[in-house]
Amino acid sequence: MLLERLRGWLRRRAPQPAHGAGDDGTSLFRERYHALRLLLAANNKALDTMAEMELAARAEEPFGMAFVHSRCTAVGVSVYAMVRHLDELAPGSYPELFPALSAIQDRIREAVAGRKPRREAPLVVPLAAVDRGWTPDVGSKMATLGEAAGLLGLNVPPGFVITGAAYELLLAHNDLQPEIDRLIQTSDSDEPAEIFALSSRLRQLVVHAEVPAALADAIAGAYEALAAAVGSRPAIALRSSAVGEDSAEASFAGQYATELNIRPEHLVDAYRQVVASKYSPQAMQYRLQRGLRDDWLAMCVGCMAMVDARAGGVAYTANPGDPTDRRVVISAALGLPKAVVDGRFVADEFILSRERPVRLAARHIAAKPGRLTLDPAEGVVREEVVGAQQTAPAVSDAEAVSVAEIALALEDHFGGPQDIEWAVDPDGEVVVLQSRPLQQVAAAAPGAELAGVSPLLAGGLCVSPGAAAGRVSRVERDSDALRFGDGAVLVVQHPLPRWAALLPRAAAVVAAGGGIAGHLATVARESGVPALFGLAGAEALEEGLEITVDASGRALYPGRIDALLGAERRHASAIAGSPVHATLLDALALIAPLNLLDPSDVSFRPASCRTLHDITRFCHEKAVREMFDFGRQHRFPKHESKQLYHNVPMQWWVLDLEDGFNRPLTGKYVRLADIGCRPMLALWRGMVAVPWEGPPAMSGRGFASVLFEATANPALATPFRKPYAQQNYFMISSTFMNLQSRFGFHFAAVETVAGERDHENYLGFSFKGGAADLERRAGRVAMICEILEERGFAVEAREDHATARLAGLPAAVMERQLELVGYLIMHTRQLDMIMNDPAVVAHYRAKIVADLERIASGEPGAGG
Amino acid sequence: MAIKVLLVDDETSFVETLKRRLTLRRLEVLTAASAAEALALLSEQEPDVVVLDVRMPGMSGIEATREIRRTHPTVEVILLTGHASLEASMEGMTMGAFDYLLKPVSIDELIFKIEDAHRRRNLRRAGTEGEPGGPDGHGGGGG
Repeated sequence: MLLERLRGWLRRRAPQPAHGAGDDGTSLFRERYHALRLLLAANNKALDTMAEMELAARAEEPFGMAFVHSRCTAVGVSVYAMVRHLDELAPGSYPELFPALSAIQDRIREAVAGRKPRREAPLVVPLAAVDRGWTPDVGSKMATLGEAAGLLGLNVPPGFVITGAAYELLLAHNDLQPEIDRLIQTSDSDEPAEIFALSSRLRQLVVHAEVPAALADAIAGAYEALAAAVGSRPAIALRSSAVGEDSAEASFAGQYATELNIRPEHLVDAYRQVVASKYSPQAMQYRLQRGLRDDWLAMCVGCMAMVDARAGGVAYTANPGDPTDRRVVISAALGLPKAVVDGRFVADEFILSRERPVRLAARHIAAKPGRLTLDPAEGVVREEVVGAQQTAPAVSDAEAVSVAEIALALEDHFGGPQDIEWAVDPDGEVVVLQSRPLQQVAAAAPGAELAGVSPLLAGGLCVSPGAAAGRVSRVERDSDALRFGDGAVLVVQHPLPRWAALLPRAAAVVAAGGGIAGHLATVARESGVPALFGLAGAEALEEGLEITVDASGRALYPGRIDALLGAERRHASAIAGSPVHATLLDALALIAPLNLLDPSDVSFRPASCRTLHDITRFCHEKAVREMFDFGRQHRFPKHESKQLYHNVPMQWWVLDLEDGFNRPLTGKYVRLADIGCRPMLALWRGMVAVPWEGPPAMSGRGFASVLFEATANPALATPFRKPYAQQNYFMISSTFMNLQSRFGFHFAAVETVAGERDHENYLGFSFKGGAADLERRAGRVAMICEILEERGFAVEAREDHATARLAGLPAAVMERQLELVGYLIMHTRQLDMIMNDPAVVAHYRAKIVADLERIASGEPGAGG
Repeated sequence: MAIKVLLVDDETSFVETLKRRLTLRRLEVLTAASAAEALALLSEQEPDVVVLDVRMPGMSGIEATREIRRTHPTVEVILLTGHASLEASMEGMTMGAFDYLLKPVSIDELIFKIEDAHRRRNLRRAGTEGEPGGPDGHGGGGG
């Protein structure tokens, strides 16, 4: 249908304005020239955007779908503008371009949309009915829990899951996705202040979304069924279960909200809160760092009868910091397990053997000054623990053994070490609340012994190994997070999950409280950020102090201690191979490759364009030619090309497009003094800076080869039809220059804009040809490319054809580089002849480099 | 003479900020909070360039582009939006928008685009009315 509209647009186009007699063609000429300039600017922007996308495709830095969408859109708009401007330059000449572009755009759109991994599902499904086969509909957390209850017969609270289909319905009903994408796109900054502000806007959007009646009814119905089944009206715990969580590397630990002890009449509100937590700052950072697609991630929400836990915590079926240690580690707190997960309290630790029967190997009982319990009205409250209960174990040894046995059963069933959240209910039964693969990291070598430096603080628990240095940045509130600097050491009282948003910028994390089982610890391990928790005295660290954190050695040192830092922290780019990265590569395959190379080839036509780059290449080539032909065919005396006169008439013609001459010229010649085009003058200076020594001396065999190629290779033609084929043409304005030149078998084209808008400035230099065999011609091109690359050009070469490009630099810099290009055009002619003799090659290369140095230093004179 | 620009966006704080900055850069700025308001304003005082948001309550920026191009063929339209959509951008361009820019955009880039669009408007008017040249003089290029 887009195609239809394009055709319609073509049909509707107004006829070209008629130009009456007496018109000197100025307005028509200017309109064409303006179209050319806009086309060239669009070409420049398209190439810049492609280069930016190719850089991102190396996956060295994280990027999100907003980047993919915006760059695809930008490059598409630029290329469309080129096609339209070409149509203005040559009305109706290339009607096949619009359909060709439209077809490529359609394919890019499909590539970016991707295949959303989703299927038809009910809005709500009972937890007991799901197993891992349901993962795409209910998320891995709830699918796993359902299977633990059903297949394994473990004790899991009864409940239901609000599915991914419900999430889709909520978004579609409110048309939220475009607005979400728009908000993310317009922020486009990774400063903490901006991320927190964006997160807040996105969450409000979701919290205020209208829940469609069908969904509200389904949730209410599911709750009534649950109430009937358990014979009471239980309060509900709502837990996130995102589709996409199950990826092996992505734990999503603590990224999303959990709403505990919610009354049934507030279910829908709490549901929206949990869904909105998809856009918590830590979750957004987490997805960005791992290249997960925001639009593919559906938030499912598990609703389970609230367990009034007497005690609870986390169990690991292996040591997360040491894969060789396969003992079971249990962290236990009084009251709700949230106390352990949030890292809010120091927990008891039980270590148990994995061999059956499971035996207790060790236990460390902590002083527990508080616990989290259910508020009689709604939600959770903190309660003080007093007297002997503080130091009494949170669970009995027998209960710890039960937890370990259940944990090992889950490991046996799901395969691989597990990370389990559990609770002991008022009847003393162990209840499973969650099970997921345990993230493990290799233990780092113990910290080096340091002679003469005493630690600032020592002790605590290494929850993520390694060492790093940075300045102390204390964070207790969101407002502190806003000024968190890159590379600082994050120092917190409680290692709350929310601080995970700062991990990509943090050198290390130090917490006064917390333990190995908290969510922040999990994410620190995954991100490879050294972290030391439960470190007494950390709360007193001075803001801004430079310290070295040796998490493995469990100590903090003053200043930066290089001996400890050793190997540079491995900042694994988790984005390589991720869904976002794959999407970019798919789109890029339709954008960046260049298939259209040779303008003289019959395949140089719109129908052969397979990528946006092909379209830009075609449009550029044709636009330059059309502009030129326009100047030739319309014999307005004012706009005729002039022959350059420098001592004698030369084989150079100059076409003024706008303001390239200093004064109106009437004769057939133009002198250098009349030229007002600074880029052309710069190029000319380079051309005449050093006298040409003439063609290089060559061996007899070389000469024979040249004669053969000269007769056998008809492809050595310029893009211009005769009779201009043997001539050199400049098209100029005061800040623009396009040169097409041919010297014998050498073809060179230079195009530049060097004006006041730095970001629109560019210099493109393409060259090809030679008369020797292909190997030597390619050798010449490679040598020139090397020289250009050393001087800051981005170079692409294929066989004996190369293009070099610079962009975005001030006009003065562009002019220096034009001198260099001018020199190369004159002095690399026929060097293909000598490319089979390394000694001669070295001689010429040294001479060229020395000449260029002299020109760059502004030494000998210019020819104008 | 200053370039006259009409800014159309339902986000009023954005419009006001942008208006201040463009005015500072010597552009004459009119504003409208919706496409309907913009179309009404357009027939009273014709701007050189309209800078239009894409997603607005009521008539969308895409439809407004078509309407403006139909009723005021020499007024150039620049779409400026946070809506990074291939489809919407192609629709907008097909409707005759001069460009489709994504927020956030640098103020310099926006001004350059406005200048380019204005220049094109002048050239087109010069072409259709047979006037020799617009306000940009010929041959001013200094060497």
